[in-house]
Amino acid sequence: MELYIAALGFGLISVSVIAIASVGFTMQFGITNMINLAYGQVMIVCAYVAFYVNQAGVSVWAAMIAAALAGAVLSFLLNRFLYAPFQRKGTNLIGMVIVSLAASLILANILLPIVGYGSSSYEVDQGPLVLWNGLVLTTAQIAIIVVAVLLMLAIHGLLRYTRLGKAMRATAANPTLARNCGIPTQHVIDVVWLLTGALCGVAGVVAGMNSENFAVASGAGYLITIIAAAVLGGAGQPYGAMIGAVIIGMVTELSAAVIAPEYKEVVAFAILVFVMVLRPQGLLAKRGALAAAG
Amino acid sequence: MNSYYAATLLVYAAVDIIACLALNLQFGVSGIVNFSFIVFQAVGAYTAAVLSMPPDTAYGHFQVYVGGFQLPFPIPWIGGALAGGLLAIPVGLVVLRKLRTDYQAISLLVLSVIANSVITNVRPFLNGAAGIAQVPGPFSDQIDPLSDTYQFFYVALTVPCVLLVWLVASRIVNSPFGRSLRAMREHELAATAIGKNPVQLKMTIFIVGGVIAGLSGAILVGYIAVWAPSVWLYPETIILFAAVIVGGRGNNVGAILGALLVPVGFFEVTRLIPQKIGDWAPPPNLIPAMEWVAIGLLIIGFLWFRPEGVRPEPRRVFEGAPLREDMSNAGSS
Repeated sequence: MELYIAALGFGLISVSVIAIASVGFTMQFGITNMINLAYGQVMIVCAYVAFYVNQAGVSVWAAMIAAALAGAVLSFLLNRFLYAPFQRKGTNLIGMVIVSLAASLILANILLPIVGYGSSSYEVDQGPLVLWNGLVLTTAQIAIIVVAVLLMLAIHGLLRYTRLGKAMRATAANPTLARNCGIPTQHVIDVVWLLTGALCGVAGVVAGMNSENFAVASGAGYLITIIAAAVLGGAGQPYGAMIGAVIIGMVTELSAAVIAPEYKEVVAFAILVFVMVLRPQGLLAKRGALAAAG
Repeated sequence: MNSYYAATLLVYAAVDIIACLALNLQFGVSGIVNFSFIVFQAVGAYTAAVLSMPPDTAYGHFQVYVGGFQLPFPIPWIGGALAGGLLAIPVGLVVLRKLRTDYQAISLLVLSVIANSVITNVRPFLNGAAGIAQVPGPFSDQIDPLSDTYQFFYVALTVPCVLLVWLVASRIVNSPFGRSLRAMREHELAATAIGKNPVQLKMTIFIVGGVIAGLSGAILVGYIAVWAPSVWLYPETIILFAAVIVGGRGNNVGAILGALLVPVGFFEVTRLIPQKIGDWAPPPNLIPAMEWVAIGLLIIGFLWFRPEGVRPEPRRVFEGAPLREDMSNAGSS
């Protein structure tokens, strides 16, 4: 029983990490119609930005802000100079997927000679242990959960209660109509890439903290989990991604306790397959994966 | 040594041509973005390996794997091809039936990453991360595999396979079935409306591609004698995509051209980069990393400047088809 309670604790942290990452990923898809397969790699780049800031003696929490900035700038540039021109040119969804995969490859291999093949880890002051009904978490882990909850609330507030959020939802629903209604969609999309890029950066750092160490090669693994959570919730749906993160995070950590930790990604994959067979549109989306491409 | 280099180059070229023809059938002709293509090659390679190797007890504790049947040549190659086709059935049934094309692509990418991580982690199945070594090549018990004769004998074995695959691929592309595939690629709804079943078309070409990919893996493993998860990571698929995009999507000559330009030509050229420039030697992992960057740039560059590739797919005009004026005449008379 203790094993399962411990797994629940790990699950909470996993949920936090996946939620931050997959909400950013799914918002990029929902609002800018771009399945950005370079997302996992941008996370790794940001994780390394934070790593070097951390190495310089700065606390990892301050380094997280640097990573968020780096993620915002990198994602913005990626969209401005690569994705948006291709989209304007009329490249279809599949072409865009291939372009983003190529971008991921380029990012990974520019990073590789700089940081090397080895894995790195942050110097984190874990703080005192907190015990609660058999759950044992360090203060740093609780901080990760708090960061995730705050970010999710911020996203919720942004989308529901601000003009910008309304503009984002309008752009997601119908970009042409939104533009005709006077919404500066280009500007909205730029902001979306900055915001989701910042989420991506934070996600890279918390993922690196959660998995003890990270390397350039970790990007693919991150991406798999993010895709699983986003598709499970219904791609393009921020709330769906949050629900997907809860399910994927909890199930994978419990499975790690029951089966073996190596198979976490496999369990995430199995969930993904079930979703694709039984409910390809995801939990929340009305059309999602079933809609015609276009 | 030079003949060894030439034979290696030829075998790699043959394997890449076979793989690119298969990927072209799926991606170029039918529009299926098979990001797990390399998995089908890997399945063929593993199957051919365990079919041709003795049981793992023969190696002591050096490596563990299932099977080990010591079957004579053509069986491992045929087995590898069949295994690729068999794997395509369940994968195709899950991925190709309902999902939108971009979801198909990301699901297949996910499959590729997961399959690799499973094989890496489950050691008793196929020896985990270390992979399988000392795979005997065809007839290696009769001809010394290290001799020059064997190198060219192996090339001679692969050439008929290339010709066979080329024949099959061109028959498919030029047949009414190929026309249906292109119709589906161009406009799935319209193809459905004139009575084509897209799921059936996709499944068929996915299985055919799986068979050919499996064969390419079987040929490769017989030659290099080792197979491990590190040789079939998902970026390997991207190289083949780069080849098909560069060569020209949708036509077999383009696929062959791409295979010769990208996986063969490109990586041979980078071998010519000097290891040292004056006193300055680049860090050991710089050049391989830059090769990958170049592959990425090649894809992006071609998609931007010349999406149809070096040799574009020919526009097919049917001589028997009436021109528009003829049809209006036929209507008025």
